[in-house]
Amino acid sequence: MGDPGIDERTQREAFDRYVVPEIEVLYRVARSITRNPTDAEDLVQDTMLRAYRGIGRFDGRHPRAWLLTIMRNAQINRVRRKRPELLRDPDATMERLADEGSSEIGPENQVVESGYDAAVENAVGALPEKFRAVVELVDIQALSYQEAAQILDVPTGTVMSRLHRARTRIRKHLEDSGAYVNGRPT
Amino acid sequence: MITRRWYRPQSKEANCREVGQVLQNYLDGNVEAGFTEKIEAHLEKCRDCGLERDTYQQIKSSLARQSPSVDSEAIDRLREFGSKLTEE
Repeated sequence: MGDPGIDERTQREAFDRYVVPEIEVLYRVARSITRNPTDAEDLVQDTMLRAYRGIGRFDGRHPRAWLLTIMRNAQINRVRRKRPELLRDPDATMERLADEGSSEIGPENQVVESGYDAAVENAVGALPEKFRAVVELVDIQALSYQEAAQILDVPTGTVMSRLHRARTRIRKHLEDSGAYVNGRPT
Repeated sequence: MITRRWYRPQSKEANCREVGQVLQNYLDGNVEAGFTEKIEAHLEKCRDCGLERDTYQQIKSSLARQSPSVDSEAIDRLREFGSKLTEE
């Protein structure tokens, strides 16, 4: 179970210092990726286990980025075990993972709500997957551009451009639906 | 980060085209300080750009409110999992 490169006490201390403070963020990101609370919890456990085993090789810099990379790889492996035929193109992996999740939206998300926030939520739901993913991670889960890039395995500039295009689409969706324009009801 | 090469350093105020190009970066705090002042000087005066800013700011604020509340029981279970991991 332990890392053979360091003693157990050092391993425990490093885990408490670098991994434990990030559990909540990891869970939030896992919820975004899996769209399912049970899968999210399993994914975080898998990530924590991998982090514990590999912590002797971690240099102590940017623990969140390190953990998000572990989570991304863990999720790729989890899906590969379930659906090996889906993963012949590694570049599209994260988008496929998110696509899978989006088909599991529960009835609680289908409740019709009113008001501006509901209109924005509907607009997010109508986004293509690669745009929805960046909005979820950056605007909803408050990750930095760099952290979102880490979990999506794309350049930071790609996160930024997708995010801006996504917000523009949200704005257009709000206008087209006749809900709001320029911050005011039409 | 939007830096000096993106704008006219000699001007006191950005114009509509410049603001339109960098508005979302500005709202994300991704514009260097010297340019931020020029954008704000323009937003003070230009109604259209000011409304554009308000629109995107409202969208960003709405998205931030959509962060689901944390499932504290799940977090507790994960912390417990971490404790057991380091005990083994």
